[in-house]
Amino acid sequence: MKQALAVVAVATATLTAATAATSTARAQNYPTRPITMIVPFAAGGPTDVTARIVGENMSKTLAQQIVIENVTGAGGTTGITRGAQAAPNGYTIMMGHMGTHGAAPALYPKLRYDPTKDFEPVGMAAGTPILIVARKDYPAKDLKEFIAVLKTQQDKANEAHAGVGSVSFTTCTMFNVMIGVKPTRVPYTGTGPVINDMIAGKVDYACDQIVNLVPQIQAGNIRAYAIATPERSPALPEVPTTKEAGLPDYQVSAWNAVFAPKNTPKPVVEKLNAALVKALDDPGTRKRLLDLGGVLPEGEARTSAWLGEYVAQEVARWTPILKAGGAVQADSG
Amino acid sequence: MDSFIGNLELGFSTALSLQNIALCFAGCLIGTLVGILPGVGPIATIAILLPLTFQVDPIGALIMLAGIYYGAQYGGSTTAILVNIPGEATSVVTTLDGHQMARNGRAGIALGIAAIGSFFAGTVATLVIAALGVPLTRLALVFGPAEYFSLMVLGLAFAVVLARGSILRAGAVIFIGLLLATVGTDLQTGDERLTLGMVDLMDGIDFAVLAMGLFGFAEILRNLDNPETRDVVQAKIGKLLPSKADFKQAALPVVRGTLLGGALGILPGNGAVLGPFASYTLEKKISRTPRRFGNGAIEGVAGLESANNAGAQTAFIPLLTLGIPPNAVMALMVGAMTIHGIIPGPQVMTKTPGLFWGMIASMWLGNLMLLIINLPLIGLWVRLLKVPYRLMFPAILLFCCIGIYSINNDPSDVLLTAFFGFAGYAFYRFGFEPAPLLLGFVLGKLMEEKLRQALILSRGDFGTFVTSPVSAGLLLLAVLVIVVAIIPTVRKGREEAFQE
Amino acid sequence: MIRIRAPQEIAAGLFLIALASFVFWQTDDLTVGTMRALGPGMMPRALATACGLCGGALVILSFLKDGASLEHWSIRGPLFILGAAIVFGLAIRPLGLFVAGPAAVIIGSLAARDSRFVESILFAAVMTTFCWLLFKVLLSLPIPVAPWLLGY
Repeated sequence: MKQALAVVAVATATLTAATAATSTARAQNYPTRPITMIVPFAAGGPTDVTARIVGENMSKTLAQQIVIENVTGAGGTTGITRGAQAAPNGYTIMMGHMGTHGAAPALYPKLRYDPTKDFEPVGMAAGTPILIVARKDYPAKDLKEFIAVLKTQQDKANEAHAGVGSVSFTTCTMFNVMIGVKPTRVPYTGTGPVINDMIAGKVDYACDQIVNLVPQIQAGNIRAYAIATPERSPALPEVPTTKEAGLPDYQVSAWNAVFAPKNTPKPVVEKLNAALVKALDDPGTRKRLLDLGGVLPEGEARTSAWLGEYVAQEVARWTPILKAGGAVQADSG
Repeated sequence: MDSFIGNLELGFSTALSLQNIALCFAGCLIGTLVGILPGVGPIATIAILLPLTFQVDPIGALIMLAGIYYGAQYGGSTTAILVNIPGEATSVVTTLDGHQMARNGRAGIALGIAAIGSFFAGTVATLVIAALGVPLTRLALVFGPAEYFSLMVLGLAFAVVLARGSILRAGAVIFIGLLLATVGTDLQTGDERLTLGMVDLMDGIDFAVLAMGLFGFAEILRNLDNPETRDVVQAKIGKLLPSKADFKQAALPVVRGTLLGGALGILPGNGAVLGPFASYTLEKKISRTPRRFGNGAIEGVAGLESANNAGAQTAFIPLLTLGIPPNAVMALMVGAMTIHGIIPGPQVMTKTPGLFWGMIASMWLGNLMLLIINLPLIGLWVRLLKVPYRLMFPAILLFCCIGIYSINNDPSDVLLTAFFGFAGYAFYRFGFEPAPLLLGFVLGKLMEEKLRQALILSRGDFGTFVTSPVSAGLLLLAVLVIVVAIIPTVRKGREEAFQE
Repeated sequence: MIRIRAPQEIAAGLFLIALASFVFWQTDDLTVGTMRALGPGMMPRALATACGLCGGALVILSFLKDGASLEHWSIRGPLFILGAAIVFGLAIRPLGLFVAGPAAVIIGSLAARDSRFVESILFAAVMTTFCWLLFKVLLSLPIPVAPWLLGY
């Protein structure tokens, strides 16, 4: 009996030492096989495109393929839940976003992860600025007039969004609350139909990501009143910033950032961050991201630590706004 | 007219480069394969193959990806005809007569007519896009929520006509389909509806899950219960290609299907799905022998395959001219274009004419290639039917499981499919047919969304559905279709009453 | 003596009524709204009502007209086919294709009376290899192959 116990003890000790050794060794050799990046939105959308562009370059740096896996659902939270529960060995990472790691706690009371606790932040990838747009013959010349008209119209105005939990929904909730307007909100499934009906003049306004809107604005099918970033976008130089146009507090960007599950080893996270930063510096990748109208992080904003703090700030920012906008579901079972 | 020919010249010169021909061929081949495999669809495949296209120039990449999309339409019909499993939403109706033709030993003929009809439709659709692309986009803009709703109601009226059995049972099954479409998160409030607390149902039931369960698994269970009929099917092989008489019967349906499908494909929000249903209903109604429908009528296959393919091609119009994707696959193409640095929008046609016309030309080439790929394969498929069923059904089972899993990389989808498989078997025992349910399901989501949007925009005024001429017209048509469908039953009832 | 002339009809009808009741129970907490402002509960309940009415009609008709009789439900088919799918679903992520695939094929083939055991095993091996080549190698779908052995 004693011998058996001794054997078991030695075996366990050896195995533990071996696993510890191999896991540090693995961290040094990381990555030795392809890495899965979970994208919680449908393929072809802005987050997916950003992930693919950045992932392609990171694959070269890490010498291993980054495989994109689209896991859609529930405003992106299904995919992020899957990522949060994955093994923290650095072979599953995810592209989180303003919705999944900022607004989600307010929108989904039964959320199965905590954006501030259940992840190792890797780094910010790119943000897409939000534009305030309206149908092309809306009776207002600029943002100030637009806000004035909306205030008189209140629920006669039709605001279109791409569904509860989408970027257009959360950002416009903030806009409405900020200017004190309660429009009639018309829900759509996806940005395509929103743009379609706006071009046809059936809905009045929306707040959406620049990527989807640039060609329509350039062609004159839709009019843009302002862009919610500190500087004008090179893709749309004639559109004033919210600061210039008179609503400086409205600063939103649908940011996309890379996360790993909590307890992923530090050296692995650092390697991923380094690859991400290298991708953001690569001229080819930069150009493609900027062509989309993306805003790239610089300097300190590229570090993992900064991302961790930013996420906490975002969660704190969105919760009161969404509650004020009446977007939070009552606890229904 | 000069510029039209000039544009076509530009298009073909772009499409006929060696690289682009090879990419087109690769896309079509992969697309056919993907269409044949149950569950795996063009969306998953295009998403996976996207990184491979980074090495290639944008036009080549898009040519290949487009090939995958319309190639999948060809492949989806193959499984529908051979094993009664619809590969795509658009192949559901093909199972009705296509599979019956296979049971009658005319599988080869069904596959042949499907391929040839699709080629014809593809050719016509390509010409239409080239000549009328821009004006047709304006048609799409006319369809607001109210018009769309009425179109969906018309689609449901088609579903009633589609049914083989009693109208009461068909109606019930359609209602169940509509009910299943409501499962998920509410559009306006975000409330969970009928999700039974399961996270996987929060985004609704996936079409493939429902189709694989109700058609794929239930079909296997049905065949296992009737070993005599399934062996008879395998004994008959029959001719491999359509005869002259078959062509004659199929010719006009092909033309009508092309027009219907092509027109509906332009509508954003997946209007293309209605094409095959509309075509089938039309053919059944104007045929002099409607009883043949549901038992292997060739018009039932020819018309809707053409509608299918025409719709798949014209779906590119809103994408290429306006930059607005009409369905999920096109949304993916938007992403593909964006990654390659082309922002889709109204200026794509003017700023990069090579892309626009090159894609159109290569679509026609793709159709030609698909015809060449698919016709010889018919012999192979037909021989596959001779495999003993005890080996075939586990293979189908495995393909379905893998295919379903690959949609969302979610094992619960497979479990859900098993549930619907059981439900499908129960339906069979109760005497319900599954096809109208799938139609109800596909239409249901869009219908409720458009109904509520229309009512929100009109502030609750139901008159909005009749004040718009397009909407009123569609509703009227729907009423007519249902009345015409019910009249024979009512007449029969009266005759029986008189006889007693 | 009231006789059920169409057993299949009455079974179908009762099923529809049961389904309708289930939906009403599950949507109890949703706001129905008014005709002017449709709430989330409106559509499901309206459809459930329609189903229930159809069910009622079928039940009534089953007493008035002759119809098909209810055939016997087999156990073997559903048990093994659906069981195979369930096993596949549960096994695919932890155990991968190399285990879930053969399991599905072997369990599934037990559903047919004329299946032969050795043949099933061989066929399972062949099919799994073929599927691996097709889905994993050719189409590069992210399907777990053997996480316990290969790590992916």
